[in-house]
Amino acid sequence: MGIVNIGIKPLAAFYLLLIFPLAIMLWFKVPIIGRTLIALVRMTLQLLFVGFYLQVVFDLNSPWLNILWLVVMVTVADFSIARGCDLKPGKFALPLFTALAAGTAIPLLAFVGPLLRRPNIMDAQYVIPIGGMILGNCLRADIIGIKNFYNAIEKSEKVFLHALAQGARLHEAIRPYLRDACQAALLPTVATMGTIGLVALPGMMTGVIMGGADPMTAIKYQIAIMIAIFSGTSITVILAILMTIKSSFTPYGTLDQHAFKGRS
Amino acid sequence: MSTPAIEIQNITVRFKGKTIWKNFSMQVSTGEKVVLDGRSGIGKSTIFQCLMGFVAPEKGAVLINGRALTPESIWTLRTQVAYVPQEADLGSGQLNQWFEAPFAFKVNYSIRKNLDRLPELLDRFLLSTDLLDSDVSRLSGGEKQRMAIISAILLERKIFLLDEPTSAMDRVAGKAVLDFFRSIPDTTILAVSHDPAVLDLADRVVNVS
Repeated sequence: MGIVNIGIKPLAAFYLLLIFPLAIMLWFKVPIIGRTLIALVRMTLQLLFVGFYLQVVFDLNSPWLNILWLVVMVTVADFSIARGCDLKPGKFALPLFTALAAGTAIPLLAFVGPLLRRPNIMDAQYVIPIGGMILGNCLRADIIGIKNFYNAIEKSEKVFLHALAQGARLHEAIRPYLRDACQAALLPTVATMGTIGLVALPGMMTGVIMGGADPMTAIKYQIAIMIAIFSGTSITVILAILMTIKSSFTPYGTLDQHAFKGRS
Repeated sequence: MSTPAIEIQNITVRFKGKTIWKNFSMQVSTGEKVVLDGRSGIGKSTIFQCLMGFVAPEKGAVLINGRALTPESIWTLRTQVAYVPQEADLGSGQLNQWFEAPFAFKVNYSIRKNLDRLPELLDRFLLSTDLLDSDVSRLSGGEKQRMAIISAILLERKIFLLDEPTSAMDRVAGKAVLDFFRSIPDTTILAVSHDPAVLDLADRVVNVS
């Protein structure tokens, strides 16, 4: 039992369903119609491009090409995080890349290696979709964690400086902010884990069932991906914050405004 | 001649493109009480920020007990200086936890026993020990200032930088604080204040207008 293909014409017709959100936006003058249309065009073009590219990647199934694809995804995510957190990419691209790569690679290799026991650990069928799911969550967690961390220090600057004045080393002064940032970044995954299966059927499970597998297999995949995502996000958030610290604080332990876009 | 507790040598400080201080110098001897006087907004508090390493002078040098303030020395030098800002922000949480927090820093491990002095100091500064169980955000400005001073005393600092130390206190509370500083002649104090009672504490008043 394989998945039913979707024809081009029916898919094009399916766009008509967008009449409802667009009509609601027009009627209530929700000021995001322009952004919505741009996002829809981008979604279509990006996914078409990825579809064509992945077709080639899957056909060739070359480990090096698969690694290159993952590196490209991590690089794009890397710059998205820098932009999303107002960090200057020149200073932070490398530490953020390392944090994302570690947060994605460790659970991904554990998934495809010891768990699935694939003879080819870089098999495109598994590495690319699972890597993409872990990376997507790492990206979200990093943005939440990093923003939360620096915003909290800036907002309570007097309290932070008071800790330094009381003799705290930098790693001691940032500790409460690091703890809160980790909590903020991990909470969405914790909440998802707590309600999964009750509120909605998760994406991966749905995909595996539609691909023809029985529900028990789908559930095992879903459990594994949730563990992988949770591990990956925790690794990447802590690494991303710790690795950006060197470039975002002055040697005197104060926040370096030159590290942030539009502040110096 | 003994080494000054505080020495500022020809500092130029610029903030957001504006020059706050140009070639400013001053010294405070060990045990001396000096009050900086001058109109508001001139940048007196910036001098304290420089002494704590929170603002880096563009030119010149800052020395604490004869040691230049550098990225390497700042971490040790901060343990010799207490900075009490005009509007102390104690954050949130219970007051007793706030007093305990700095003793979780490695440099303060060995003086944790000083927390035993807390009831005596609260009493001396006309504060009730009942406040220890309350949230710091509920304290008044004057209470926060006194708590910040008490915390600095518990950390055994020998140099006090006091920014308008009595500005949020009534006359009686202000007197209690100043009487305490009179009782510790070895302590060096550099204060910013317009309060005649604080000026009266000073061995020397420096006009920085």
